[in-house]
Amino acid sequence: MRMDETHRTWSIASSAILAVSIAVYIRYAFESPQGARGGSTIGLTFGVIGFGFMVFAALLGARKRVPTWRVGRAQAWMRGHLWLGFLALPIILFHGGFHFGGALTRVLMWLLIITVSSGVFGAVLQHYIPRVMTSDVPLETIYDEIGNVRSLLREEADRAFESLCGSLGLGRSSSGEVQRAGGFTASRPIAASAVPLRTSAAVSAGASAAVAAAPEIILLGEKESAPLRRFYLDEMRPFLARPKQRGQRLADTDKARAVFSGLRTLLPGAGHATLADLEDICDEARQLTRQERLHHWLHGWLLLHIPLSLALILLGAIHAVVALRY
Amino acid sequence: MARTRTTKKLAQRIDLNYFKRPTPLKRAKFWLSLLLPLLALVWIAWRGFSGDHRVYSSGRMSEPHAVLEKECAACHVQKAGTFSAKAADKACLDCHDGPIHHDTQTATRACATCHTEHRGRINIAAASNQACAECHSDLKTNRGAAQYASHIHSFEDGHPEFAVLRPVAGITTSDPGTIKLNHAIHMKPIRRGPNGPAVQLECGNCHNTAAVDADLTYADRKYRAAAVSYKESDEILPVRADTHGPPKPVSGRKLLAPVKFANACAACHLLTFDKRFDAGVPHDKPEAVHAFLVRTFREYVAAHPAEVRIQRDPSRDLTGKPLAPAVRILTPAQWVAERTAEAEDLLWRKTCKQCHTISPSARTSHRKIELRVMRGSDIDKLSGVSAELPDVAPANTTLRWMPHAKFDHGAHDGFTCVSCHAKALTSTEASDILLPGIETCKTCHAPGPEHAESRCFECHTYHDWSKRKEITPKFTLPALRKGGR
Repeated sequence: MRMDETHRTWSIASSAILAVSIAVYIRYAFESPQGARGGSTIGLTFGVIGFGFMVFAALLGARKRVPTWRVGRAQAWMRGHLWLGFLALPIILFHGGFHFGGALTRVLMWLLIITVSSGVFGAVLQHYIPRVMTSDVPLETIYDEIGNVRSLLREEADRAFESLCGSLGLGRSSSGEVQRAGGFTASRPIAASAVPLRTSAAVSAGASAAVAAAPEIILLGEKESAPLRRFYLDEMRPFLARPKQRGQRLADTDKARAVFSGLRTLLPGAGHATLADLEDICDEARQLTRQERLHHWLHGWLLLHIPLSLALILLGAIHAVVALRY
Repeated sequence: MARTRTTKKLAQRIDLNYFKRPTPLKRAKFWLSLLLPLLALVWIAWRGFSGDHRVYSSGRMSEPHAVLEKECAACHVQKAGTFSAKAADKACLDCHDGPIHHDTQTATRACATCHTEHRGRINIAAASNQACAECHSDLKTNRGAAQYASHIHSFEDGHPEFAVLRPVAGITTSDPGTIKLNHAIHMKPIRRGPNGPAVQLECGNCHNTAAVDADLTYADRKYRAAAVSYKESDEILPVRADTHGPPKPVSGRKLLAPVKFANACAACHLLTFDKRFDAGVPHDKPEAVHAFLVRTFREYVAAHPAEVRIQRDPSRDLTGKPLAPAVRILTPAQWVAERTAEAEDLLWRKTCKQCHTISPSARTSHRKIELRVMRGSDIDKLSGVSAELPDVAPANTTLRWMPHAKFDHGAHDGFTCVSCHAKALTSTEASDILLPGIETCKTCHAPGPEHAESRCFECHTYHDWSKRKEITPKFTLPALRKGGR
C-alpha cells in the first residue's frame, strides 16, 4: 500500500494518540513513586490499549480471508493495520515503563519490536517496490504463473528456432496444438508444414488470422544455421530453463544485446526477424526473473511478520491473564 | 519484426485457477504461522509443567530476594476463593519488620509503594524520591503544622540548607562545643613541636573515624594509658531522641570519633604544673587533678624535707604587693597546700583555660581556696575540697551534626578533608560550625549518570528502627526450597 495523502486522517489521528500518550506517560512516570509499572492503573490502561491495537492489526488477516464481511473497506482496514499496529509499540513500551521484565514479557517485547519493525520495513517496501516493478518489469505477469509462462516462452523460442533452422532434434513430438507464450496458437506443425509459415514477427504484426500476406518460410542451410543452433542449444535454451543460474551471459541485458548483435552478423538477413523474436523472448525471461526477485522482497518479510504477530497475540493473551492474577 | 503482446494473449496464457495452487511462499507462510505460535505454546507449557513459574515474572528480583525467584508463592499468596494472588504487606512483614516513619504521619503506605520488586538486581531499600515527596512535597502531620521544611520534592528541589547552618531569627547558629580550638592556627605551620621545629598538622592527626586506629603522632603514651574519671557522655552531646538510626549497626567509619587529648593534643599541650616535676597533671576533672597535686607534693616533701625552708626570690617582688618574709619555714602540710594552690592557680588560670571553659565554682572561689591554704588547713581536708574547685564546662562535642541524616566519612575517603570543610583553614573561633553546606554536597550528588546518588535514601532513613519488633520466623529452609513454608 502506498503511503499517500489518503493516509492523512490516520496519520493525524495516530500522531494525536501518540502525543497524548507521551504526555500522560511523562507525567505518570515522573510522579509515580515506583516509576512506571504495567500493574498500575495507567500502566494497565496502556497495556489494554496496546493489546487492543495489536488484536485489531491481527484481524486484518481475517478480514482478508473473508472479503464478504461488511465491516468496512479493506483499504481502511489496511490503513488501520499500519497506523495502529505501529502505535502498539510505543504504547506497550509505556505500559512496561520501558522495562522488558521477566522471560515472558521479554519475549513479548522482542516479538513486538521485531513484528513492528518488519511491518515498517514491509510498508516501506510496499511503498517503493511497485514503482520499481512498473518501470523495470513492463512485461509483469502474475507471480504464481511465472513458472508456467517461462515454459511457454521456452516452447515459443523452440518454435521460432525451428522455423528458421529446422528441427531441434530433441526427440519430442512436434505435432499437436502448442500454445505460444504470447497467446498465439500454432495450429500446425511448423517443420512439416507444406504452406509458407508465418514468422512470429508477422503474427505479432497482424495478431490474427486476418493478417497481411505472410512471408515465405525460410529454412537456413545447415552451415548457415550452425552459429544460431550452437548458441540456442548451448546458451539460450539452458537460460530459458534455468534463468537464475549464475554466470549466464543472457541474464545480463548488455551482454545479451552484444551476443545477439554478434549473431546478426553471422546470419543472413532473412533470419534476423526470428533472431529479434528470440532476443525479445530472452528479455521477457529476464524480466520474469526480476519480477520474481522483486516479489520476494515485496512479500518475503511477511514470512517473519505474520508468524511472529500470531505468536505475539497468543503470548500476549497469556501474559494478560497471568499479570491480572499476580 | 518484434513480437507484440496484447492483453488477450497475455490472459490466455494464465491458468485461471492459479490462486488455488499453493506456491512455496504461501506454503512457508502457512506452516510458519502454525509453527511459531505452536512453539510459543509448547514453551509456556513446558515451563508450566516443570514447575518453574519464573516465566511469568515481571522481572528479576532484587539481590536480597533472589533466593525466592522460583518461589512465587512465598509472596504471592492466593486467598481462598479468589483469582488474584498479589503480593501483600503481610508477605513482607513475615520476614522483616517495617516500623512506621513517624507517629505524626498522616498515612501509612503499602510496602510495595516504596520497595518495588521485580525490577532487577536493584537496591530494593532505595525508595524513589517520588515516594518521599508524596508526603514531603506538602508535609502535613496529624498534629497540625510540621516542624520541618514542608515542600521538599528532592535534594535538588526544595531541600533546605542543613539545619545547623540555617540562621535562627537572623542569628547564625554556633557550635555548642566549649573546647577553645583555633583551627586556623593549627592548620598553619607551627614553629615548635614536641620533636623539633616546623610542625605541619594534618587533619588526620586529630580527626579519624572510630574504626580507624588513631594517629598517634602527637599522642602521649602515659595519658593514653591513664584512666580518667570523666565519661564519654561528659564530652559528647546526646543525639536527639527522634533521630532515625540506621537499620543495621554502623560500620564505625561513618562518623568522626571525638578528638582525645591523649591522642592528639598531649604531645604539644603539656600539662606541667611545677618546675620540680617533668610530668604533667592528669587530663581529668579538677577533683582528680587536685588530688594528684596534693599527693604528688606530699610525696615530694617527704622525700625532700629541706624544701619547707623557703627563701624569697627577690626577682619576684612585685611593686604594690606586700613582701613576704625573706625566709619562711613551713610545715609540710603548709608547704603542700601552698604548692598545690600555686599549681592550681597556674592550671586553672592558664594551662587548662587555654582550651577549656573554666568558671569559679558556684559555691567557692580560688581566693577562698588560697586563704584556706594560707591558714594551714589540714592536708587530708585539702585533698577533698572538690566543692571548692572550679567548674570545667562540659565539652559538648557534637558527634552528629545532621541528626536526621546519615553521612559516611568512610565513603568519602578519597577526598581531602578541606575540599569539603574549607572553613577549617580560616576558622579562628571554636563556635564556628565547619560543616560544609548543602551546595558542597550538590557538587557531586546530583541527578544524572555523571553524578553520585542524590535520592533521599542516600542520606535519610524512613523506618524508625528504634520501634523495630522482632519477627517470628515462619519459613523453613527445606520447605522454602520446594515452594512452601
